Amino acid sequence: MTGMAAESPKQGSALERRVPARLAGSTVVLLMCVTGLLAVSLLSMKLGAVHLSWNEVWGGLTSDSEPLARNIIWQIRVPRLVDAMLVGAALAVSGALLQGVTRNPLADPTILGVTAAAGLASATVIVIDPRVPQWAIAAACAAGGLIGAGVLFVIAYRGAVSPVRLALAGVALSAFFGAAIVGLLASSRTFLQTSLGFLAGGLYGSEWRDFRAMLPYLVPGFAAAILLSGRLNILALGDDVAAGLGVVTDRTRLAILAVVGVLTAMAVATAGMVSFVGLVCPHLARYTVGSDNRALIPVSALYGALLVSIADLIARLVISPSEVPMGIITAGVGAPFLLYLVRFRE
Amino acid sequence: MRLSIQGLSLGYGRLTAVDDVSLDIESGDMVSIVGPNGSGKSTLLRGIGRLQRPTRGRVLLGETDIRSLGARQVARQLAVLPQSPDGGADLTVRELVYRGRFPHQGILQRLTRTDFEAVDWAMKAADVELLAARTLAHLSGGERQRAWIAMALAQQPRVLLLDEPTSFLDIAHQVEVMELLQRLNHDGITVVAVLHDLALAARYTRRVIAMREGRVAFDGAPAEVMEPVGLAKVFGIAMTVLTDPESGLPIPIPRSKASLTPRDAIATDRP
Repeated sequence: MTGMAAESPKQGSALERRVPARLAGSTVVLLMCVTGLLAVSLLSMKLGAVHLSWNEVWGGLTSDSEPLARNIIWQIRVPRLVDAMLVGAALAVSGALLQGVTRNPLADPTILGVTAAAGLASATVIVIDPRVPQWAIAAACAAGGLIGAGVLFVIAYRGAVSPVRLALAGVALSAFFGAAIVGLLASSRTFLQTSLGFLAGGLYGSEWRDFRAMLPYLVPGFAAAILLSGRLNILALGDDVAAGLGVVTDRTRLAILAVVGVLTAMAVATAGMVSFVGLVCPHLARYTVGSDNRALIPVSALYGALLVSIADLIARLVISPSEVPMGIITAGVGAPFLLYLVRFRE
Repeated sequence: MRLSIQGLSLGYGRLTAVDDVSLDIESGDMVSIVGPNGSGKSTLLRGIGRLQRPTRGRVLLGETDIRSLGARQVARQLAVLPQSPDGGADLTVRELVYRGRFPHQGILQRLTRTDFEAVDWAMKAADVELLAARTLAHLSGGERQRAWIAMALAQQPRVLLLDEPTSFLDIAHQVEVMELLQRLNHDGITVVAVLHDLALAARYTRRVIAMREGRVAFDGAPAEVMEPVGLAKVFGIAMTVLTDPESGLPIPIPRSKASLTPRDAIATDRP
């Protein structure tokens, strides 16, 4: 924790006692999340259209002795699991950043229209060329997400904007881009079920190429989110206080919104328009580790990874061997949660 | 550290709030800025504190234009406390005070011994050590104001700017905050505060700058400049100025609600 701990252990521990973080809570949360992710991972490898025994899972994971199991695990289930975790983490971090930067507990990439902006970009390139490579979809989504975030910045921070007006502007943006997406998909000859999966959000058929397409955006995106989290703490004190402490408020907000645009876009590129993950996870994280964004953002990411990987497992199993779009499960959890927030929290 | 304000103008859109103001504030001074609502006193403070970009003129901190310094560089020497900040309600006092270390921290915000010491000193100086674990939302107005001052002190500033630090406080807490500022000033921090209460300004600051319509109306030691005609001119209301028998300092008292032209200002019972 402190560089001095090594030099004088006594002094170091005395200093650490005074560190203003809820560290003990974070450690427990961290352990629970990791355990949860491990359990979901094992179940995700075992269960599915073809149920594997634990022996087959072990054999497939570690050796060539079970070629069928090995194929199912390494080519289908593991990449899908990894994609699910990354999508969840990206959405949850986006939500945490948005809730911080707008100082609005109802902010989330879906509600504020960023998801729909990226979705429109994705739908556009897919309709133009259904065989478009995944990296191009990711790039288009990134551009769409950045545009959506930019529009949000202009609406939200040019002139005085109340949280209510920001939410209303988000609803308007979301409806506008959403309508454009449905219009595009309806007028094209894209396979209907694909469209449905895209609109509701799901990981049907996602594989290593999705992972490879997301990675170049997610690595800098997550890194930037971590680095900006301290500034986000300062912004939460109010604009004038933040400026007095040396944060250039508009530039910081623009940077945060750009990160939101890119992270949300990667989730959309891989899983379509998954809703509510960005809303729910930061609240759960705040409940467990408090409002310090340096803890809140990584813990939100863990919750997001956990929520989406569980939701995807359920989506695969509920009408097995067929499956429902994963976004239906997250919406099923998220919508009641939103109602709870509206009703019981100020 | 000396502050030199040179030909400073600030505005909102087409509206000019501060019009070509020049002032020198000496290192270690304790200064109040007074004036009626809309006179530009808060805007002037925002301009000095780098919260608002001037339309003309500049502010020198020591020898350097604050616009030529980085925002964090300025924040290490000069702390600004806006009027009734509303953020951070869910933070504990200690967490809030640690936020004041931001301008001194590197990109990873690792805490060093200097940070711990600065926070301890700030909490002690602002007398909030006993409140350390309390949440901001659960403090009284006076306690909260001291917590925010402690945050500003954690910046280890040479200059402390405050916008109406005593507003919404009862009399005892007003005195408490002003005495805290006085102690800090004795320790060498230059204090500039926008104040509504003329009696507090006269009692606790060594120099009173009165603003009217974006310009400086009068500027000087309270005993010299706080006289009825000048005050009536600035505030548009007849004033009587009594003398505090203990300190000999002026106590301005508004006389009637009827607005007066400067010529109508009534005489004083002050010798």
